[in-house]
Amino acid sequence: MKKECGGTPPRHDEITCRKAILDCLLDYETGAMPEALRLELDRHFGDCPPCGEFLTSYRATGRTLQMLKPSEVPPELARAVVDFVKARCGKK
Amino acid sequence: MSSEQEISDLDLVRGIKAGDDRAFEQMVARYHARVYSLTYGVLRNSEDAEEATQDAFLTLYRKIGTFDESKKFFSWFYRVALNTAYSRARRRPALPTIAIDDYLPRFRSDGHLVAGDVPDGAIPVDDDAALRELASKAEGFISELPEPYRDVIWMNDVEQMTANEIADVLEISIPAFKSRLHRARLYVRQRLSEISKPPEPVAAAEAR
Repeated sequence: MKKECGGTPPRHDEITCRKAILDCLLDYETGAMPEALRLELDRHFGDCPPCGEFLTSYRATGRTLQMLKPSEVPPELARAVVDFVKARCGKK
Repeated sequence: MSSEQEISDLDLVRGIKAGDDRAFEQMVARYHARVYSLTYGVLRNSEDAEEATQDAFLTLYRKIGTFDESKKFFSWFYRVALNTAYSRARRRPALPTIAIDDYLPRFRSDGHLVAGDVPDGAIPVDDDAALRELASKAEGFISELPEPYRDVIWMNDVEQMTANEIADVLEISIPAFKSRLHRARLYVRQRLSEISKPPEPVAAAEAR
């Protein structure tokens, strides 16, 4: 289970890759974290090349997921639903 | 805004309870597409999703009397739809799902990312056409996820539901929602990275 992100901002040298990626990355990307902690993470992602690359690919994943669209709804579905329910409930 | 859109869900619920067929038809018009898409996320098959949508509205029609009007209709009905889809899914052979922990990044005991856990092949960040192609693959990866993760990422990233809506429908806390969403995205990131490996340099290939 992911630990809750936030609370007292740690010192820069206390931010580990594990904390940055597992505990804080989602809130970091959605902007849902205290400014001081966000600045610490900015520094970590800037100073740690593997985490910087990880962040890039995580953002690309987000962009990819944004391109997913709900599946196309069959055009007659609403009518079919109403007819189905009426038939099952003995209505004309 | 049309007059139909101004009618609240609760007004329609009360209309259906009173036997007003027009209210039921308006409810179908309002929610059938979202229910279809939600059930499609579980069933991954348009015919099954159509039938699950019909069953969900049948349950709505029959059980509307049990709906507590102090609650949100949306959350209640989405739970009805999800349960309908789960029930239908259980009647078919179970599809294999992955062990999500096997695909999460690994760390050393000092908390540093294990070298090599960021694949060399970068996801093509600036290439929209390539990202669109990857999106179709991502849909398949989402379907491999265990149900708690699959439903959260589908509702959030495809259905564009809010965190509060998803937590309400699934009856989970916001931290649990965030944890599931993040782990699901980490899984999809890992799988997308694996299939985005750049072609091997010619010299390296010829050296073999």
